[in-house]
Amino acid sequence: MSLAKEWRTFTAVFIRNIKLFTAYKAWIIATIIWPIPLLALNIYTYSALGTPDDVSQAFTQYGYPFAGSIVVGTIVYLLYNRLLWGTGISIQRERWMGTIEVLFLTPTNKMTILLASGVSSLVEASWWIACIFFLGGAIFGLQPNINSVPAVAISIVSTMAALIAVGVFFAGFFVLTRAADQLASGLQAPIRFFSGVAFPVGALPQMFQYVSYLIPVTYGILVLRKAVLQGANMASLWLDLLPLYIVAAIFMIAGYATLRIVERRAKKKGTLYLI
Amino acid sequence: MTNLSVYAIETQNLTKVFEKKAKAEGSSIKRLFARVRPKKEEIVAVDHINIRIKSGELFGLLGPNGAGKTTTIKLLCTLLLPDDGTAVVNGYDVVKQGEEVRKCIGVVTGGERGLYWRLTGRENLWFFSQLYNIPDRMAKERIDELLKLVELEKRADDPVEKYSRGMKQRLHVIRGLVNDPPILLLDEPTLGLDPGAARVIRDFVKEKLQRDQKKTILHTTHYMEEADQLCNRVAVIDHGKIIALDTPESLKKSIQQMGIIQINVSNLQQGEERKIESMDGVKKAVVSFTDSVVGEATIKIHAEEAEEVIPAATEFLIRSGARIIALEQTKPTLEDVFISLTGRKLRD
Repeated sequence: MSLAKEWRTFTAVFIRNIKLFTAYKAWIIATIIWPIPLLALNIYTYSALGTPDDVSQAFTQYGYPFAGSIVVGTIVYLLYNRLLWGTGISIQRERWMGTIEVLFLTPTNKMTILLASGVSSLVEASWWIACIFFLGGAIFGLQPNINSVPAVAISIVSTMAALIAVGVFFAGFFVLTRAADQLASGLQAPIRFFSGVAFPVGALPQMFQYVSYLIPVTYGILVLRKAVLQGANMASLWLDLLPLYIVAAIFMIAGYATLRIVERRAKKKGTLYLI
Repeated sequence: MTNLSVYAIETQNLTKVFEKKAKAEGSSIKRLFARVRPKKEEIVAVDHINIRIKSGELFGLLGPNGAGKTTTIKLLCTLLLPDDGTAVVNGYDVVKQGEEVRKCIGVVTGGERGLYWRLTGRENLWFFSQLYNIPDRMAKERIDELLKLVELEKRADDPVEKYSRGMKQRLHVIRGLVNDPPILLLDEPTLGLDPGAARVIRDFVKEKLQRDQKKTILHTTHYMEEADQLCNRVAVIDHGKIIALDTPESLKKSIQQMGIIQINVSNLQQGEERKIESMDGVKKAVVSFTDSVVGEATIKIHAEEAEEVIPAATEFLIRSGARIIALEQTKPTLEDVFISLTGRKLRD
């Protein structure tokens, strides 16, 4: 494997994705609109249950401040969604654009294409992080408690890497189906539920928590809540980062294997180009 | 490493079988169950084909829609895996050495797909050049050359969605050349183009790609004139099988002893060709309607002794109420070769 070749592919896919993203104004508008009501929905749902103080009190038993916990959960969930659509759907999108065959005709590593799609999706979603942090502070009283900036940075990067791994994992499956968009939509609600986007995972029944800890999104939310809201430093974070890396590695390896298997299957069955 | 074969492309018993859902029959409940667990039937798209294409040759694969031309191209360019047989491209096995094959081929398809419409022509070419690992500066120089070659340099920085159909096809062709491959697989590159745009592509393929750049070209088409004009050799394919393979001249010579009569008529009833075919001395008769409402059609009759068949055929047509507009004895074309082999026209 030549690193220069992979870098060339990575750069080309990244630049192409950003150009395509900015060429479709509707995508930009959708990206701007989407996070705001989602965050508001997650927070205002609790207003029906009591005063902000009552809700904060309830959240404290899990060790997190109310608004901050929701803000962090929503950010990770939005990133997960962006990567599911940006990385997971990236091959399916080539089908929709009618370019999947010419792409598969090139002597490129599909993993590099997927990783570049993941990184470009993160860049596209960077607005969400900034927007939600701003809104969280200005409207919902988010008060970060950061003691270690490197810990926050490592938590963010690790979470993003894990989410790219999830995207790669699903990308393989999506090559097999012509209904990848429906599958991706179908995966949004369960992940939102099990990963504790809008509530601490500890509030779930034990059975459900087992499922939660199979999902990288859960660990991403956990480490970021600790780094951003509980002032955790690297020494206290690594135990939470470790399972994130393990689950991410499993997803990445499984994604790579799946991609190879399904590409071969699609070429055998002649379904690669079917829309 | 390439082998020492003199052939740029070589297939042996290359076969591809697809599964297709069988049409459900019976009651509505049975049909409903059939939708859940459909029965499968097999379709042999490419049936043990053997072709050998020499380096620098422009080889045509001629056949009607659904004959297996595109499947053959997809097998050769590694987009499909064969179910039986082997294919070697530039010395590389398409199954075991897929990446090596992809490095040394360029594939051009007809139609609207295969380009990023929101990107400019130049951006499309740059993107693909990078996937072929061409250093940036070299890629930019090559892109300029290619754009000039197909006279697209003035529109290179416009989004592809603003291109005409012919311009998109020219861009398709140079996208396939961006890695300067020694072998080109052209899958109906003139499909759907107006005659002027199609001629530009044909001239480019013949003069620039084969004559000047000495590329090996496999060109599929269902336009017999195109195969006749362009190709050094032509394989006629039908139902996945190669049914004839030779130079266009030799193929036409093979039916030269046959008299070919072309009759243009109006007011012709459907199904009359069967009656003509049953006439004495007639080998094959096919009708293609240009306007079925007024019965305007061209009838091609293959006969051993054309002079003997003409009076009987014209008498029959007049009696059946058809009006003869023109009648001529023609030289055999590749279409006649196909008719003689299959009893059908290429565009049936």
